[in-house]
Amino acid sequence: MAVVWLIAPVALKRFVRASFFEFSAPITLTEARVSELQDYWHLRLHSQRDLIAAGVDLARVDASYALSVQQNAALQNEVARLRQMLRMPAPPHFRLEPAQVARRDFSAWWQRMTIAKGRNFGITVGDPVVFAEGVVGRVAEVSATTAVVDLISSPGVRLAAFFEGETRPVSYQGGVNPSFGPAQGTVDFVPLDISLQPGETRRLVTSGLGGEFPPGLTLGQVDHLEPSGDGLFQTGIVHLNPRLSDLTEVTVLCAED
Amino acid sequence: MRRGLIVFGTLVLLWTLIGIVNDQLSGLRVHLFVGGLFVAFAAVALPFRAGFWTVLAGGALCDVGSPLPFGTFALLFAAAQAVLTRMHERLPHGHTIGRVAIALLVNLGLYLVVSFARLRGAPAPGAYWLRALIDLAFSQAAIVLAAPWFFALQERSLAYARP
Repeated sequence: MAVVWLIAPVALKRFVRASFFEFSAPITLTEARVSELQDYWHLRLHSQRDLIAAGVDLARVDASYALSVQQNAALQNEVARLRQMLRMPAPPHFRLEPAQVARRDFSAWWQRMTIAKGRNFGITVGDPVVFAEGVVGRVAEVSATTAVVDLISSPGVRLAAFFEGETRPVSYQGGVNPSFGPAQGTVDFVPLDISLQPGETRRLVTSGLGGEFPPGLTLGQVDHLEPSGDGLFQTGIVHLNPRLSDLTEVTVLCAED
Repeated sequence: MRRGLIVFGTLVLLWTLIGIVNDQLSGLRVHLFVGGLFVAFAAVALPFRAGFWTVLAGGALCDVGSPLPFGTFALLFAAAQAVLTRMHERLPHGHTIGRVAIALLVNLGLYLVVSFARLRGAPAPGAYWLRALIDLAFSQAAIVLAAPWFFALQERSLAYARP
């Protein structure tokens, strides 16, 4: 049977895979809807007084964000003007596509989540996925209505990164995921002259190299570096955001031409 | 064919439930793998051909969303089913406790095979194995707790399906 499957035409394998993917998608979406309903009834239990207080808080946050949006627009205009002056190529544009997390699958083998949007919202394989505090991962598989995201804590994920304020790229890899603790990754090929004082932490951000992820998005924090086996570089543990395992909403950055 | 489809229906239910449980456990970074439950009943209670296709379909369901080449779980499950069928006479398959023991052993074997297959990509093998063993311990405990209910459900579903 294994031999038959190995020599089976690629088209047949793809068809079977797509069939099972699409077969399981409605089940995953139903789970997401049930979870939504659960949240709704949970919120219905709050008193009106709580809701009014939450509304007032939200209005304050909204006002501060409105100001930030104006400042952001002014800064973007400034950046565009400077780019034009320096004749730099335009950075890639992304359409923001918020999506609900339908299912999380965080094993020792891989760290993945399924989101409740797929090709129906223009999501494609390789699209970056982010949340308010940094990078979540990248889209690994897409079906008609769902998509599977490889988290940055997954051992298979590798990215070029920068230490904040640096311009030399280092290599980030996900992978150390202890039970009952926050996920971690590793950083390799760190130049020897980058040092960290005891108690100091430095932010690791996406480099933007390769154009897959926009530059400057937070990957995690590094608080310790040690020489690598060959002594030419340093390596370290990257502490990822603990919220990664509790996310219910993420944003997919869909590349636009 | 009909019996195989009914057992497959219970496997879809198991896949859904275990997905929900794993989703809830993701905050603790604990993951349950119950591949043994996908194989055990179909291997001991169904004729070889029906059991084989049922287990194969159940494995393909587990392949959805996994980064392993599609068909890995399906082939592993089918191989486990073939081994169990060959040893059918020597296995204590008549009682629930015997079936639970079979599910535990199959689960252990499948878990170790997948863990060794994924070891190559792990940046810190020590931490990887520690995590894998903790997950395995929880998975085995989950099988001990859930298997009697699940086997009873499968048995009852088959009984209802009889004309």
